[in-house]
Amino acid sequence: MIRRLLHYCSPRARRLVIAELSFVVVAALLQGIAFLLLVPLLRSLFVGDVDGSWGWLIAVVAAAVGYVIASWFASQIGMEASTAVLDSLLERLGDSVVSLPVSWYTTDRTGLIAGLATQGAMFVSTMPYAILRQILAGFVAPGTVLVGMYFFDWRLALAMTVMVPIIVIGYRWLSRSIGRGDKAHAVAVDEASNRVVEFARAQPALRTAGEGSIADRLVAEALEDQHNQYRGLLITGGSAIALFAGLVQLSVTVLLVVGAFLAIGGTVDIATLIALLVLGVRFNEPIVTAGDLGGGVAVAKTTIDRLDELAAVPRLPEPEHPATPADFGIEFQGVTFGYGGDPVLRDLSFTAPAGGMTAIVGPSGSGKTTITKLIARFYDPEAGTVLIGGVPVPELGTDVIERAVAPVFQDVYLFDDTVLNNVWIGGPDLSREEVIAAATRARVDEIVARLPGGWDARVGEGGSNLSGGERQRVSIARALLKDAPIVLLDEATSALDIGNEIAIGDAIDSIRTGRTLVVVAHRLQTIMTADRIIMLDGDGGIRESGSHTELLAAGGAYAHYWRERVDAAGWQLTHHD
Amino acid sequence: MSVAPRETPAAEGSFFAAVRGSLAAIIVLAVLGAASSVVPFIAIVELARVLLPAIDGAPVDAGRVWSIVIIAVVALVVSFGAAFLSGVVGHFADAELQHSLRRRIVRHLQRLPLGWFDQRSSGSARKLVENDVVALHQLVAHSIQDGLTAITVPVISLVYLFVVEWRMALAALVPLVLIFLLYPLMMRGAGEKYVQYDEATQALSGATVEFVQGIAVVKRFGQVGRSHRRYRDATRDYSRFVGEWTRETAVVFTIVELIASPIVVLTWLLTAAVWLTASGGASALDVLPGLLLGLGLTAPLMKLGASGQFLRNATKAQQSLTAFFALPPISQPDSPQTPEGRSVSFQEASFSYDGEHRVLHEIAASCAPGTVTALVGASGSGKSTLAKLVPRFYDVDAGAVQIGGADVRQIASGELYRQVGFVFQDVQLLRASLRDNIRLTRPDATDAEVEAAARAAQIHDRILRFERGYDAVVGEDANLSGGEAQRVTIARALLADAPVLVLDEATAFADPDSEAAIQRALSTLAADRTVLVIAHRLHTIVGADQILVLDGGRIVERGTHAQLVASGGRFARMWADYQANHARSLPEGVQL
Repeated sequence: MIRRLLHYCSPRARRLVIAELSFVVVAALLQGIAFLLLVPLLRSLFVGDVDGSWGWLIAVVAAAVGYVIASWFASQIGMEASTAVLDSLLERLGDSVVSLPVSWYTTDRTGLIAGLATQGAMFVSTMPYAILRQILAGFVAPGTVLVGMYFFDWRLALAMTVMVPIIVIGYRWLSRSIGRGDKAHAVAVDEASNRVVEFARAQPALRTAGEGSIADRLVAEALEDQHNQYRGLLITGGSAIALFAGLVQLSVTVLLVVGAFLAIGGTVDIATLIALLVLGVRFNEPIVTAGDLGGGVAVAKTTIDRLDELAAVPRLPEPEHPATPADFGIEFQGVTFGYGGDPVLRDLSFTAPAGGMTAIVGPSGSGKTTITKLIARFYDPEAGTVLIGGVPVPELGTDVIERAVAPVFQDVYLFDDTVLNNVWIGGPDLSREEVIAAATRARVDEIVARLPGGWDARVGEGGSNLSGGERQRVSIARALLKDAPIVLLDEATSALDIGNEIAIGDAIDSIRTGRTLVVVAHRLQTIMTADRIIMLDGDGGIRESGSHTELLAAGGAYAHYWRERVDAAGWQLTHHD
Repeated sequence: MSVAPRETPAAEGSFFAAVRGSLAAIIVLAVLGAASSVVPFIAIVELARVLLPAIDGAPVDAGRVWSIVIIAVVALVVSFGAAFLSGVVGHFADAELQHSLRRRIVRHLQRLPLGWFDQRSSGSARKLVENDVVALHQLVAHSIQDGLTAITVPVISLVYLFVVEWRMALAALVPLVLIFLLYPLMMRGAGEKYVQYDEATQALSGATVEFVQGIAVVKRFGQVGRSHRRYRDATRDYSRFVGEWTRETAVVFTIVELIASPIVVLTWLLTAAVWLTASGGASALDVLPGLLLGLGLTAPLMKLGASGQFLRNATKAQQSLTAFFALPPISQPDSPQTPEGRSVSFQEASFSYDGEHRVLHEIAASCAPGTVTALVGASGSGKSTLAKLVPRFYDVDAGAVQIGGADVRQIASGELYRQVGFVFQDVQLLRASLRDNIRLTRPDATDAEVEAAARAAQIHDRILRFERGYDAVVGEDANLSGGEAQRVTIARALLADAPVLVLDEATAFADPDSEAAIQRALSTLAADRTVLVIAHRLHTIVGADQILVLDGGRIVERGTHAQLVASGGRFARMWADYQANHARSLPEGVQL
């Protein structure tokens, strides 16, 4: 456990933690020694040897002073160490976030990472001081006393030693059973919370359903299950703690009984016996405390487990000598890819000519967006090759692709910063005027005009001050600024008002010239004006491809799709007679 | 008009009602455990009293030795057993409390005005059932026992010590007094620091969220360095704050900890003991109790002090839960009325979200049975708010909304939602089978009825493509696109068959790939009902019986499409604008 923690520490944090724990061990040893000195001291008191008592007292004071000094250093270094460990953990976490492949982020990881950064890191960083220190002290000090007891009476010492392996085994069992129960409980908690959130979110629909609907039953069942799991956890955890504490108490009982036997038999020095009984009774407390803390170690362990899992996520292979693409045409050769399950794309081949616009259409779930994500190398295909300028993407490497490709995806993320700075990300070396010029071409100036503060108005958390269409316009402006030879565009499917739709159309027009565009297209205008249309069939392959005129003339699936879309554009809710 | 809020049942009145029955057991067992934990130490003193004469060769009273050992062992068992049982009862009481609070949260959610959910993220419900309820754990499961132990053990020990040797008792008191004196020093400014700590954590959490959510963007724009720097700055600030805080408190904290440590207490007590015996003021036997019991006074106090942070969290959580339960539930009529007919009318209806800024001013309008009324206006004009008054997402501040002549607030909730159905942009599907989702509002519907609704909503064929068909579970083996999910909710509304329908027209273009199918479904749903539609695309409501044009929360124009265009007012201008733009968004040569 300590070794795994040190693995995530900076050299300074590692030195501090080791120094802290060394002082803790020294302090615990001195504590044990001071307690052992109690035996001769009490002995002198009982036999009335006053000079002897003073002498032993001085020895105890010396040990205590040593203990205070060591503890002082352990505390002061420990607090420094906690801060250093916290900083290292957060730094390592940040490095992980940067180095993890983009594909890893396709499911929402925000909660996981934010949880690790706040509660997780804080808990682990205080662990050496708050938990390990007590556990070490809880075992080292009594251990010292136990070893020392052999010098006074080997039979009582032996009686105590017999209990040691039993207590150690009990402790292991305790930590493990708490950890196990915890996992099952966590699953039930998650399920119940999700049900309550669903229940809250669906309230409007549920009011219509009235009380006693299926949703009421689902949420009640999930809560019931969580309750039962928690009670189960209490029973396993409770009995584990009881068993452990019972074992420690048993060791005291053994000591008392053996001591009584020896005393009655007259084969023990009475003063020593009483002193040893005092030690025995007082000394189980730190061990019991250490047992209580076993759960804390298990919690810290889950955080470190999570960090290990992050480190173990496979990264995409990078070439040693990145190749240079001949041009910026894109080609798929027999590409098969799925997100872990059934393939979304099966043996898919097509070309998107350099400098032209290729529109991808097809039913939802047919893999339109997946195609753009493979070009941007969020993933590598399971079979087949994606080529840019005739070079397989893995031979180009992530750096080359990042420079060549500007993505405008649907899940546009804006930083909680000004409109201008959000566009500026696309080209940090450009001047403010150049940024504004590019943004104006994407018609961001119209958005800015309505915001108080203009270009320097803040977009809010995640861009919440802007509508979906407006966010996409900012995102197009970013891509314009980046001036990459390949633009991947996933047109918004969300409800756009007419104003935004036209603005986005204009923005796309301005980005087209001289670039290779691959567009997941929904707007009729975009589809119709594409140089090449690829219509997916929904089974991982291509149904039809060609230009708009060719495909309409062919009168196949595309022609049908087109007619339906045009009809939809003229839909009226009711027809008045 | 009298609208009495429904009384909260008395059983729910008190927060801790669920655990009150266990409280006595927790307390008795905790005190018993703490009290009997002192006994083994006294037994050792007694053992010493019996055995010490043997040093000078006197015979040992074996019977008495064994009785003392038996008493000690029994006390060990009782002490351990009682403390453990107190903990068990406390934990199970806590489990009951958590369960009852969660169920109460769910029940309260069921009664809140729907508007509450409109304005809040799902995170607030999660925080209530997860974080807040769990934060109370310390209060019930630990604090009572810890507190009682921290009082009982020192009190019994000190009483005993004062009886046998008062000077050792005084000596044993010294560390306690020192801790009490230093504690306020240690906690100085802590309240403020905890607030700052919460803020620092919030800032770090915000920076992390932005870092993770923006990572795809920054990676693709080669700006990893800059964004990474922002994250690192935030984390450095955080660890610097934590570091400074611990450093500030480290000295006093360590001093308190050292004073309370067994070794320092032992050394102090030994010094007193040796001094007392050497000066001839007391015998070894007299000072032994002070040594044994004096060592055990500080530990329970330190344990209590360590739980301060948990208690603070528990108090905060209790406040947040109390505030939630205090939210007024939606009012229920005393003598419910039944709507007659399916007309909808607004009578001088006014509404504000915050009680101050009116977003709707004295709206007066009526929708005849079986007609379509369209609400038109810029965003912020109040058209969505007005529509949501009918299914009681919000209640008016003044005036009234009526269905079939009855005020919506005077219609029993079950009856109201039999009369009013609604389809908005946000899809509300449950993680349950598609069949159960469709028949959510009519659980007794037959499979044939469910299927008929699904067919009419253009989703039947799609459902059959799932391996388990209608039994496929949403989000598990039924992954629906936005438009498909919309059609499931439309099927649900069809099956519910409410005569009044409130509809957001934007639903129709939730998903361009199935736009046509959603449109057909919506047209089927709208047929033969009294429809109130929030309209975004003006051409979709050309055929409406009545168009209400809203601006700034007032109706500024009303009439049919033809009348409004002919009158040359605001709507006529909107329409001209819209037509020009709509034509531009369509391919050339496409005729509508």
